[in-house]
Amino acid sequence: MKTFLYFVLFMFLAAVVILLAAMLGDLGAWYFAWLIGTAMIVLVAAAGAALLDTQEDLAATQPGPAAARDA
Amino acid sequence: MIDATVVELSRTQFAATALYHYLFVPLTLGLSFLLAAMETVYVTTGKPIYKAMAQFWGKLFMINFALGVATGLTMEFQFGTNWSFYSSFVGDIFGAPLAIEGLMAFFMESTFVGLMVFGWERLSKGQHLAVTWLVALGSNLSALWILVANSFMQDPQGAHFNPVTLRMELTSFTQLIFSPDAQSKFVHTSIAGYVTGAIFVAGISAWYLLKGRHVELAKRSFRMAALYGVLATVGVITLGDALGFVAAQAQPTKLAAMEGLWKSEPAPMPFNLIAFPDQSLQRNEGAVQVPYLLSLLVTHSLDGTVAGIDVLEQQAARKVENGIPAVLALKTLSKDPHDAAALAQFKAHEQDLGYGFLVQRYAPDLERVTAQQVQQAARDSIPPVAPVFWSFRLMVACGLLMLAYFVMAVLYTLRNQVQHQRWFLRIAVWMIPVPFLANELGWLTAELGRQPWTVFGVLPTWMSASTHSVGYMVFSLGGFVLLYSCFIAVEMALMVRAIRRGPDAPDRGDARPGPRPGIAPRPVYAAAHDQHPEG
Repeated sequence: MKTFLYFVLFMFLAAVVILLAAMLGDLGAWYFAWLIGTAMIVLVAAAGAALLDTQEDLAATQPGPAAARDA
Repeated sequence: MIDATVVELSRTQFAATALYHYLFVPLTLGLSFLLAAMETVYVTTGKPIYKAMAQFWGKLFMINFALGVATGLTMEFQFGTNWSFYSSFVGDIFGAPLAIEGLMAFFMESTFVGLMVFGWERLSKGQHLAVTWLVALGSNLSALWILVANSFMQDPQGAHFNPVTLRMELTSFTQLIFSPDAQSKFVHTSIAGYVTGAIFVAGISAWYLLKGRHVELAKRSFRMAALYGVLATVGVITLGDALGFVAAQAQPTKLAAMEGLWKSEPAPMPFNLIAFPDQSLQRNEGAVQVPYLLSLLVTHSLDGTVAGIDVLEQQAARKVENGIPAVLALKTLSKDPHDAAALAQFKAHEQDLGYGFLVQRYAPDLERVTAQQVQQAARDSIPPVAPVFWSFRLMVACGLLMLAYFVMAVLYTLRNQVQHQRWFLRIAVWMIPVPFLANELGWLTAELGRQPWTVFGVLPTWMSASTHSVGYMVFSLGGFVLLYSCFIAVEMALMVRAIRRGPDAPDRGDARPGPRPGIAPRPVYAAAHDQHPEG
């Protein structure tokens, strides 16, 4: 249930972001947006990997609670 | 006049080669930046698992890249072989971005791809990272130029027709590159490639997690793909909206076909969620509508209206009548380029020249055009509604499905729980074909919606093709379909073999998915890093 609520929340956030972008960007400077957006998407993906390393390191140093929390 | 069957076969051949080619392209566009992201993490953290990731996904990238180039080559030649009048008519404009695209693809992209593949042991980490980023940039910039060329076909800007040379000439390279259609189409297409790359990586990673193989590599790949994919999907939906907004202004007939809008209505207009358009009766059967939504989607306001096909046909009829004197003046000018009266007549009617060409299909003698022929040409100015309507809806449905999938993927992966959700991992594997389908549907919407024009409002498709024989076209079409089907079979076989073999680097991580209470296995990259402290 908690996961479903988070799913609904994130879908709502995505809808809001799309709505705002659509309203603001009728004839947007899309090439510029692509440059900035691509860099951001790549960096967020890279940051996600670094975050996973941190989560795994935490799980390794605190085996009991971390593993239980992850499960 | 060119045989109508030859025109249809030329269209089918181009559509077939383009659709085959476009099975490979988006993965190249998206996977290249994902590789850059993986290698960036490798260079910044020094952890060998990210090098193993970049090398493994790089191998799959290369298989796809090689077959993508092979299928793309023939398309460039087809403009000359099958669409010779088109090439002559707009070659001065179309040729420039096409040539730059060729240079980008075959010089920048291919050179750096070579360095990326063979440079792991020969370049420093920083140099190799720069090369990988340049491959990604080169791939996407290569796509930029072909999309600029395509956008000229959708919304011809930065050019004008010279009645003496009977060709279109470039007047503004800036207008050509920065047209709203080119901008929004490039970003929409490029980011759709990111989504494709993300679903591909996430799906194969999910398969590894299900099999309990290469778990550490798969978890990291899935995490990166999920975050990359969710942002890209939001972007692709946003840019899809922008493309619709641009189409409303530049290609109203395409938009009307996408929406199955036969009759103009007062605002706020309802959106046809589902309908079965009947072109002969010009109406929809079994329509399910959402009130107000069409005005909101297309004009971003509740009081905006969209022209229906009834109004667009009336406008087209007026344009046909106005375009006929322009074509007649061209005939005079082709005999005497200095005929001032003909030149003046052409200037007065040149904005509707294309519509004059459109009616020539039914009235070879433009001195005696009947009202019925004008109506026939006006009716022809509407693209095939049902295929455009359904391609668009199915593409949007795929987009929304991918958004929901990525939101779920991000939720699970950020909690580091995805490896335990076997039902979701199975879905992730089955999601792999969805972006490929969405990409193909997107192109069908764009290109079927452009009909009956090769260059919208300027050059009709019926007069753009070469004068080949039907037999030649059938033979070459069959050959292409056979050859490209073989390419796809080869790609699938190579991909499956490479995926089954897995990454070259040994993975000694957790061999089986599922919770292991109280035991947190030491990540494989940490052990590898201890042995090979490259960073």
